[in-house]
Amino acid sequence: MALYEARGLSYRYRLNGHHVDALRGVDLEIKNGEFVAIAGPSGSGKTTLLNLIGLLDLPSGGSIHFEGKDVLNLAERERSLLRRERIGFIFQTFNLIPVLSACENVEYFLLKRKIRRAEARRRALEALEKVGIASQADQRPNEMSGGQRQRVAIARALVREPAVVLADEPTAALDQTTGLAVVNVMKHLNRERGITFIFSSHDPKILTAADRVIQLVDGRILQ
Amino acid sequence: MSRAAVVLKLSLRNLFRNRRHSLYALATITIASMGLLVFMGFNRGTMDEYRENTIRARWGHGQLYMRGYRGKAHERPWENWIESPQETIEKLRALPGVRELFPRVTIPAMVAAGGKAVAGQGEGIDGVAEARFFTRMNYVEGGDLNDQPFAIVLGIGLAQGLGVHVNDEVELVARAGNTALHSAKLTVGGIFQTGVQDFDSYAFRIPLKLAQQLLETERVETISVALSGVRAWPEFAGAANTLLPDLEAVPFDELDKVYYRHAVDWLDAQFAFIEDIVLLMVFFGIFNAISMTVMERTAEIGTLRAHGDSRMEIALGQVIEAAGLALLGGSLGILGGWLLSIGPLSHGIQMPPAPGLTRGLRITIELARDEALRVLGLAVVTSAAGSVLPVWRAMHIPIVEALRHV
Repeated sequence: MALYEARGLSYRYRLNGHHVDALRGVDLEIKNGEFVAIAGPSGSGKTTLLNLIGLLDLPSGGSIHFEGKDVLNLAERERSLLRRERIGFIFQTFNLIPVLSACENVEYFLLKRKIRRAEARRRALEALEKVGIASQADQRPNEMSGGQRQRVAIARALVREPAVVLADEPTAALDQTTGLAVVNVMKHLNRERGITFIFSSHDPKILTAADRVIQLVDGRILQ
Repeated sequence: MSRAAVVLKLSLRNLFRNRRHSLYALATITIASMGLLVFMGFNRGTMDEYRENTIRARWGHGQLYMRGYRGKAHERPWENWIESPQETIEKLRALPGVRELFPRVTIPAMVAAGGKAVAGQGEGIDGVAEARFFTRMNYVEGGDLNDQPFAIVLGIGLAQGLGVHVNDEVELVARAGNTALHSAKLTVGGIFQTGVQDFDSYAFRIPLKLAQQLLETERVETISVALSGVRAWPEFAGAANTLLPDLEAVPFDELDKVYYRHAVDWLDAQFAFIEDIVLLMVFFGIFNAISMTVMERTAEIGTLRAHGDSRMEIALGQVIEAAGLALLGGSLGILGGWLLSIGPLSHGIQMPPAPGLTRGLRITIELARDEALRVLGLAVVTSAAGSVLPVWRAMHIPIVEALRHV
């Protein structure tokens, strides 16, 4: 069974009184454990596609099955629950909570799943260790570099042991060396833990790390 | 750790994340709470002063009448007065809270001076006893009756109508129950002003014995009661009704409904209006602070929602922040109000004469614990209300839109 199966996905929005088609009938299938990149120029629909399969937004048409379940018919609350339990996110601008330390950022969503504080702390430190940043566990985001913050974001996405991690341009705010290091961390975790990664990028060097590259142009997948 | 505790922790950390906004909101709540508490204390002090004035100027804590007498017209009113007043007073003296008892009669009479005659209605009172308790009569000239057997004190309107002043002589002509007319020559000992124009235009007071002689009666119409305090009234009234079921005990605020009750209601309404304005300040202070917070943290709200936080959890976090600010600001305001009341305002505030009074009042700021708690409660409730709209907006920002926010 595929992790994701999307058929005829389309997304239309209004901009300055005109309809814009961000996605036009996208068919997509991603298997468990894949390390997939979505490539394409700006405006090709990479972020829209990630938003839709991340259940952050609803398409104008088509269907999405996640782990065999038709997720578009779920209530808002059920989609939230699914995101909390099964999907991890990494954002271009890291999106860490500035008033929490690195470790607290990672353990925050574990505590919300009613995991005991000691256990949450242990798992958060372990996740930070995995991404090579355990020594900065008590630092707040504004005390860290971009690469370090993105590693915290990866640890945050991984610590809940999701089925998939969706990363929208995770290296765009980093220099190329740091960006490659971050992608290597992701790939290492994919290989070690079998977690599916789907990330977007338009940097050819970053894309070489992917097992499969899905090329988007003008809202369509190039075959 | 419960989910609510995690949200609480994050909210408390966020409380002073943007210090400028938080301090602005905190200052608004603190100043408003302090103002509200001090104003409540001032209002309480004013009410107490008004109440004391009403009690000690005219009515006592209440009065006793024969049951069914008050509020009705009687052809021969004196037949419905209290018999054997001394015996009744002795019984009443044993009741809880009683300090003093003052027998009184009402005496309708013509008051004449210098060729002018004005119809008046007076009271016969025990001048010596009443002078000890009724210390708030507003005398514009002279003073109490005291022990002078042929003295009279007049309402200011009546004195002006007659054109008399202290030490002038007036003649009183009253009709006794058997239709006989009696008169007495009296010296004006004082001229008072209660503030009720109608009352001041006909009222006078003479010694009780003289009034009884003029009315040819041994009875008294009413017994005014001085208690240990206002709170002693219900117990006293209950005991009086049990001991002397023929008598009816009426509290001062019922006797002086038109003046005291209405003044209190008026002040209460004025206070409620000012309270509303202050609470509106708090409301907009919090509304502004939470709106700014939501705007600043839109991307963060998007991140939390993306990671599975529900709308309710987002809302809860914002409401906790608003309530936290309110609790802190309200507590600081209460502390500030208390410091003001024991510091710069410890001697009260000198006020000019209130309507109907001829001397100013010194109003002390009387803070009460229940009012401090009310201020805190109002601050929290108003702040929570002020956060509703921004929180609603935070709850309904589409996730992808929130994530795009810079």
